[in-house]
Amino acid sequence: MTLTVPTRKPPTDAPVFSVDGLWKVFGPKADRVPADPELSALDAAGLRARTGCTAAVRDVSFDVLKGEVFVVMGLSGSGKSTLVRCLTRLIEPTAGTIAIDGEDVRAMDKGRLRELRRHRAAMVFQHFGLLPHRTVLDNVAYGLEIQGVGRSERRERAAEVVAKVGLEGMEKRRPGQLSGGQRQRVGLARALAVDPEVLLFDEPFSALDPLIRRDMQEEVVRLHREEGRTMVFITHDLSEALKLGDRIALMRDGRVVQLGTPEEIVGSPADDYVRAFVRDVPREQVLTVRTAMRPASAADAAGGPAVRPEATVAEAIEAVARAGTAARVVDAGRCLGVVDSDTLLGVVAGTADPAGPARPDTVPAGAGAPAPAVTAPPGKPGAPGAGPAPAAATPEAASGARTAGAGGRRAPASPTPPRTGTEAI
Amino acid sequence: MATLSVPASRLGADRLLRSRALGKLLLLALFAAVLAPWAAARWPGAAWPHALTVDLSGPLASASDWVVDNRDSHPLFLYFFGYVSNAVVLCVRAVYLTLLAAGWAGVTVFGALVAWRVAGVRLAAGTAAAFLACGALGMWVPTMQTLALMVVAVLASLALGMLLGLAAGLSDRLDRALRPVLDTMQVLPAFAYLLPVVLVFGIGVPAAVLATVVYAAPPMARLTSLGLRAADPGVMEAVASLGATFRQRLLTARLPLARKEIMLGVNQTIMMALSMAVIASMIGAGGLGDRVYQALASVDVGAALAAGIPIVLLAVVLDRVTAAVGERLGEGAEAAPGRTAARRAVLAAVLAAVVLLGRLTGALTWPGGWVADIAAPVNTAKDWMVDHLYSGVPVVGGTADWAAHFTTWVLDPIRDGLQGLPWWALLLVVAAVAWLIGTWRTALTATLAMAAIGVLGVWKPSLDTLSQVLAAVAVTLVIGFGAAVAAARSARCERMLRPVLDVCQTMPQFVYLIPVVALFGVGRAPAAAAAVVYALPAVIRIVGQGLRQVDPGALEAARSLGATGAQQLWQVQLPLARRALLLAVNQCVVLVLAVVVVGGLVGGGALGYNVVFGLAQGDLATGLVAGAAIVCLGLMLDRVTQPVERHVRKGA
Repeated sequence: MTLTVPTRKPPTDAPVFSVDGLWKVFGPKADRVPADPELSALDAAGLRARTGCTAAVRDVSFDVLKGEVFVVMGLSGSGKSTLVRCLTRLIEPTAGTIAIDGEDVRAMDKGRLRELRRHRAAMVFQHFGLLPHRTVLDNVAYGLEIQGVGRSERRERAAEVVAKVGLEGMEKRRPGQLSGGQRQRVGLARALAVDPEVLLFDEPFSALDPLIRRDMQEEVVRLHREEGRTMVFITHDLSEALKLGDRIALMRDGRVVQLGTPEEIVGSPADDYVRAFVRDVPREQVLTVRTAMRPASAADAAGGPAVRPEATVAEAIEAVARAGTAARVVDAGRCLGVVDSDTLLGVVAGTADPAGPARPDTVPAGAGAPAPAVTAPPGKPGAPGAGPAPAAATPEAASGARTAGAGGRRAPASPTPPRTGTEAI
Repeated sequence: MATLSVPASRLGADRLLRSRALGKLLLLALFAAVLAPWAAARWPGAAWPHALTVDLSGPLASASDWVVDNRDSHPLFLYFFGYVSNAVVLCVRAVYLTLLAAGWAGVTVFGALVAWRVAGVRLAAGTAAAFLACGALGMWVPTMQTLALMVVAVLASLALGMLLGLAAGLSDRLDRALRPVLDTMQVLPAFAYLLPVVLVFGIGVPAAVLATVVYAAPPMARLTSLGLRAADPGVMEAVASLGATFRQRLLTARLPLARKEIMLGVNQTIMMALSMAVIASMIGAGGLGDRVYQALASVDVGAALAAGIPIVLLAVVLDRVTAAVGERLGEGAEAAPGRTAARRAVLAAVLAAVVLLGRLTGALTWPGGWVADIAAPVNTAKDWMVDHLYSGVPVVGGTADWAAHFTTWVLDPIRDGLQGLPWWALLLVVAAVAWLIGTWRTALTATLAMAAIGVLGVWKPSLDTLSQVLAAVAVTLVIGFGAAVAAARSARCERMLRPVLDVCQTMPQFVYLIPVVALFGVGRAPAAAAAVVYALPAVIRIVGQGLRQVDPGALEAARSLGATGAQQLWQVQLPLARRALLLAVNQCVVLVLAVVVVGGLVGGGALGYNVVFGLAQGDLATGLVAGAAIVCLGLMLDRVTQPVERHVRKGA
């Protein structure tokens, strides 16, 4: 059990959810699997053959920081939906610890757990989970009704939330009379109505049409911008993950194979699985100029256009192409480095050594948590990273959503042990 | 390679399948080869050996005597059954007197208003017309008697069914315990329920109500449990994620989510209660059923029809109104609460005014002058039919001739064949068929049930009943499959059939006896004919549904390959609808048995006659043994045709 996520606890931000060594094993006598190092080392097929059990979540650890959008992403069957249900014990975890604001969730009794579900964490579901016999308004007010809020008050509060998610005028309708997108808005409103500390999303938009999905994603971005609520977002859609996530945990076979900012995931995949996963992502739209910049020489410092350190490579390319010279990366009036067409092209082509450009000593203090070292050798992904890919994250979303640790990638000084169980892959 | 491998693998699968069936048969044959000669040598003769019977009539008669002797003294009766009985009588009387006090106008207006509120203007008009027709046929008082009994029985059934359904829906263990019992109760003929309650309560209203409750509660329990279990897990999870308590989950989510199934349960319970309330006239229910029963006993078709029409009208109205409630719940359209309350007040005022008006004018009972006597003209028509249609019609022959031919050419050979077959051979046939269609478990149950019939000592009459069932099932299946295929292939055919099926499926079993007696007289053939008519709608409906639900993609693929209509039917539709076909056979057998047994009233003889005789003569022992044999026969027929279980398990 070499799994130790480097604790990323910045002094100011205590984690909302803190998950450590979490296991969920389905099957007979599931308890013995996490406890037995031999069994826990088996792969899925081996475990099933030996014990008849299936490990949906294997030794997962992470912290969700206050105010961030934490995305758990993985293909179907990777255990991500089980994981999010374990957070509020809709599925009872097998082993490990979960803490919300420092309070042990697994130790909660029934009443305390109910309290947690009622007030602190609300969930939005893939298939909405609306009550078909109630109107939109009563569905939204349902969480408050469960809490025992009086009829007029809960209706009033529900009406506010209904307006907030853009469903005015539909209060009297029933879920059956709504489109998929509208239903999910109701689901979102129901979760928001109880004013939870954390919103949990379980693949909320997977069942929606692409266009409506984009609307809803923007709705979530908007809500997050306005309210700054902590969100845990489960998705199987990489572009959705990149678009919404401040940090992304990529899961495979129940393990987290990489945890980092979108830029880290795309820029330095932890292993071949992640690399294959992000191959088609247009790197220039996710990576920032920090990745591409080189130290400024005296000559560079003099002129050329200025770009923000959070600007994407795509934006820098435009600036460089316009000006015809290298661009300076300027943060609060200080020049951090320069990007020129060579370095930018290197990022687009995927040939640039992600660890390449030496970092200036001055790491911006506001960059949030210093991201842990990424262990995977930089490698030279042969794939043409700049191919026209369908999974395009829009530039403004990619740059706008970055806050925590956007530029904090540090060159791996030495091969540190993998942060998660990459050895299983 | 590919072309070679496909037939090879199919052949392999075929062989495997055949070998499995063959293996079962071989095993049985081996079993038979050892036991049959021994059994044949030990107990020669085809009929069930007398040495293997247990005579229950003695103990049963003494038990019945004991009950009669102790009914007024034993504490069990004094403090339990006595109270139950009194409470039932009191309730029925109260409802009956209320109905009478409301007067015919009050009841009609009340029914129409309820129908209007839940189902719209058309059904309201239909309801009013139905009530008025009951009055016009001179059947107002019997209709109210039946209605009063129904109201009490239905309310009790719903309460009981709801409780059992809640228990089975929420507890897995109770579900496992209750399900086989409820499933079995569902397949037993109504006749089988009559005698045990008579044993305890004697003939009278309490026995009728309790028989009705026992018969009508299972569908409510089954459907409630089903609805609770089928609650969308996504919704339940969402509700749990909001921190709902168990009670909140049940009251605000699980029960409302099951409302459609529960409403269907209410509908089925009402229909079954009506069906039973009519049959229970034999044990003192009174009302419409009693009129039909009396009329049939004297082959007075006109009087039977006059009482039968109100039953049909009642059935159709009750079915449509409750079904409309179910649909409305599904749509979920509801008016604002304030307006509903105001409307209710207005409606109550209208009702009160009508009742008051009725009382003031003294027109509570249906005015005698408004009664149309249809018995006489119907009997005249029937006499004409007897004279002209019964026999001697050129070329086609008469209806009585058909009945006679059916009896001599079909029923008699089957009966004689069954009775001529050695008893152990019959057991083997039952085992083989049940095993081939179902599992070894269903085969075992079926064989044991068949053996139990022999042990009860009613082997011969049971085989007589069985022969009628088999003949009627064969006729039903041929006609039913044909009609269903026609309906599935032609939209016009379906449009024509649908309203007929809708009406037929709601009618109580008893009613079917009236037209067949008019057409064919009395005897075994009319009983079988009534069974055919009764089972036909269900068979057509199930088969038609199965055919329509065949994957349109598969059908389209067949068409795109140039399959003819017949090829589509035989190679795609029927194989893909296999489960529906088997279910139709199963339902057909169960329904046919129910009516064949009731046919004992019109000369069907055999087990049904034993029950009727037992009731009429107060010879409960004979009746109870026959009732037990009917239960066994029902169990056997159901298990023999029960393929579902294995496939469900395979899929799961």
